[in-house]
Amino acid sequence: MAQLDTPWTPQQTRSQFAAVAWLRWRITVNSLRRKGGASELVGRIFLYLIFAAITLFFVVGAAAAAFYLASEGHLPRIAWLLWGTFVLCQFLNIQLGQPGTTFDPTQLIRFPIRRRTYTSIRLFFGILSPANIVGTLISLAIAVGTSIAVPSLWFYALITLSIFAATNVFFTRMIFAWVDRWLSTRRAREVFTGLIFAVSIAIQWANFNFNPAYNHGHSTHERISPQHLHRVASFYHQARPILAIFPPELTSASLLAAHHHDLPHFVARTLGCALFGALFLAIFALRMATEFRGELLSNAASAATTSGLKPSSTHATQSFIPSAASSTTFGISTIITALLGKELLYLRRHMGILYGLLMPILLVLFFAGRYASASHSEWIFPAAVGYTLLAVAPLSYNAFGFEATGSQLYFLAPVRISDVLLAKNLFSFLMASVEVLAVFAIITYMSGLPSLQTAIAAILWAAGTLAINSVFGNRRSFSTPKKINPLRMANKQTSQLSALISLGVLALSAAIAAGAFLLCALLHAQWLVIPIAAAFATVGILIYTRSLRSIDTFALAHREPLFAELCKQT
Amino acid sequence: MPPAIAALALTRTFDGFTAVDHIDLAVEPGQFFGFLGPNGAGKSTTIKMLTGLLAPSSGSIQILGQDLFSNPIDVKRHIGVVPEGMALFGKLTAREYLLFVGRMYGLDKTTAAQRAAELLEFMGLANEPKKLIADYSHGMGKKLALAAAVIHGPKVLFLDEPFEGVDAIAANTLKTMLQSMIARGATIFLTSHVLEIVERLCSHIAIIHRGHIVANGSLDELRAGVQARLTPTAEPGFTADPTARLTLEQIFLNVVGGQNGSQPGITHPEQELAWLS
Repeated sequence: MAQLDTPWTPQQTRSQFAAVAWLRWRITVNSLRRKGGASELVGRIFLYLIFAAITLFFVVGAAAAAFYLASEGHLPRIAWLLWGTFVLCQFLNIQLGQPGTTFDPTQLIRFPIRRRTYTSIRLFFGILSPANIVGTLISLAIAVGTSIAVPSLWFYALITLSIFAATNVFFTRMIFAWVDRWLSTRRAREVFTGLIFAVSIAIQWANFNFNPAYNHGHSTHERISPQHLHRVASFYHQARPILAIFPPELTSASLLAAHHHDLPHFVARTLGCALFGALFLAIFALRMATEFRGELLSNAASAATTSGLKPSSTHATQSFIPSAASSTTFGISTIITALLGKELLYLRRHMGILYGLLMPILLVLFFAGRYASASHSEWIFPAAVGYTLLAVAPLSYNAFGFEATGSQLYFLAPVRISDVLLAKNLFSFLMASVEVLAVFAIITYMSGLPSLQTAIAAILWAAGTLAINSVFGNRRSFSTPKKINPLRMANKQTSQLSALISLGVLALSAAIAAGAFLLCALLHAQWLVIPIAAAFATVGILIYTRSLRSIDTFALAHREPLFAELCKQT
Repeated sequence: MPPAIAALALTRTFDGFTAVDHIDLAVEPGQFFGFLGPNGAGKSTTIKMLTGLLAPSSGSIQILGQDLFSNPIDVKRHIGVVPEGMALFGKLTAREYLLFVGRMYGLDKTTAAQRAAELLEFMGLANEPKKLIADYSHGMGKKLALAAAVIHGPKVLFLDEPFEGVDAIAANTLKTMLQSMIARGATIFLTSHVLEIVERLCSHIAIIHRGHIVANGSLDELRAGVQARLTPTAEPGFTADPTARLTLEQIFLNVVGGQNGSQPGITHPEQELAWLS
């Protein structure tokens, strides 16, 4: 009781921060201790290395660009880099989301915690998102580039760009804090997912239409003509008075003021940027204050069902002994048809997967339009089929992720797990078929009918690839399952290593197919591609069938880690 | 007639820790069997093994005379389960879920649809047909899980904490349904921490503690056993009233408390926590 009588001390508050940091650390360490944790760590390290390389590219590019602009006396144009940094951060936020916190931080309010402490914890917990890391490093790289070009500016550049970086981070934290509130209903989440999808599509469209890399040698490259650039520049000049009040322009203006030894203006503009940061932080704190008071963000009905026990309007059905589970409808097991129906319902109700399936088709639409010419037509269809498989292939690596505790039913019901997986794989195959059909129609419309032998060979190759992919996917679904929380944005569909394996299978399969195509071209025996692809598909399906025979034993041996992951509370 | 549920020397170890240690169980057909134990005693592990969700380290399980491991499909056709996690599919509506489960248990579409409609109405879940299960409250989820467990008319029903988080009205609905199943000859294996409900529903009870069955029998047998144990060991001043009926809670506390080595029926854990106000 003695401790409760004494006033709360700053030491206790510091202990709370330390406890939360420790919690985060232990969650990370413990997640690696689980079965498959080591392979997950390898996958993560691999992805982090790729991410680091991409980040390094942007960082060096930003420093070089800042050096060039500053040394050429174009300091105001540093604003372009800063706008670019801001847009890149938002793009990364949309594409990669925030790092998973693995537990709901709003649970912390049940502890004796001050609002200020809670806000601070919420601010720093998960702050190391890819967007924040990239944005901060690029901002500092711009400071470094500017300082090398104009050494007298180093101190000012460091100050003003650090404040810009902080403002950028506060903006992201503010947006994500409010996004949780806005997206607390399913409908809002679906609309938001649709918006993200539309933005992603627009970016890809702009990339294909305006990126010189995709327009080289094409008649359409005039689209990025000097007139276009002039129009963009004119729009920028018109908008500049408004843009000038925002952090990127304020930051570059403060650098210019420092360059002119105009200290009052430097301070005023740097403070202007800092004010934006403070505003974002205040709006973030406002949200945290509401969270701190306690709120429930969910679709769950607050009102209890009032009907209670109702008299049945129908007579009790007669006693029915279930038929053997292997009974069939039109030659297909009822288990398979029931599962296919359930998978279809899940697909209809998961906008993320639907958009993920639609995206490759739209990209093929853009891509095929740009490369639709006689010289490319032979390759477009197989390449497009390979690309669309990227959307479907990873789904089989976490077959039970969306079902969570529902996956227990497959072990309770009188069904074979091989039937369950066969149905799930068939559904993936059907989705891929729809994708391939759509791609076929688009390419036929854009660049004419692909040659029959290429089309048949590509489809056979896709069938074989999907079969082999399912062999790995089915096993990984049991050995490294991942519970997918549909309430969280940008949820990864599979573990990192599974995603890499899926990519590896596709890459290897594509390499085999490309090798076969090239060999046939060298031998001037294009007709050979069909028997080769047919042999590949047959081998793939045979391996799949053999694998399916032993999957029941494998599933039983791995049901404990499966339930441990999918039935966990958080 | 073979027992509805028979477990022999059932054992499960986790990394050297024995959660369930050579337990023997025999539940006769038509029994409403309560399986009790303190937290971590091995209840859920046992029920998971009995339903095929968890492999035992050793021992055998027979359901309705059939071996669970050699005839899993046949056995599962005759059992219904409400597991710990409820096994619901959040992205389906209640009707879709019941239809799906019905078909997974081999019912034809018409029968599954008819039974789904009846069950939804009986459970009071028919009012919001478009609501997804993900949006259900915990209690509504429990009712739906029970509906799914019985849609195929199982002969043996396993229920892991079916009354947890369920309001009194819903609990009454569930109890009515379970009692009518017993009246029709079904066997129910139930775990629950709500001892009043177990006492009212169950005819036979087993208590598991630290992985061992420490009491097993009809409620009257358990009562008599504890009563007999209490009388000779009563402390000075303690007078056991032979006419007083021990409640299940008293029986449970005596059996488990006795196993803990403390005085039967007399536990004062707060004495250990002197800093509590």
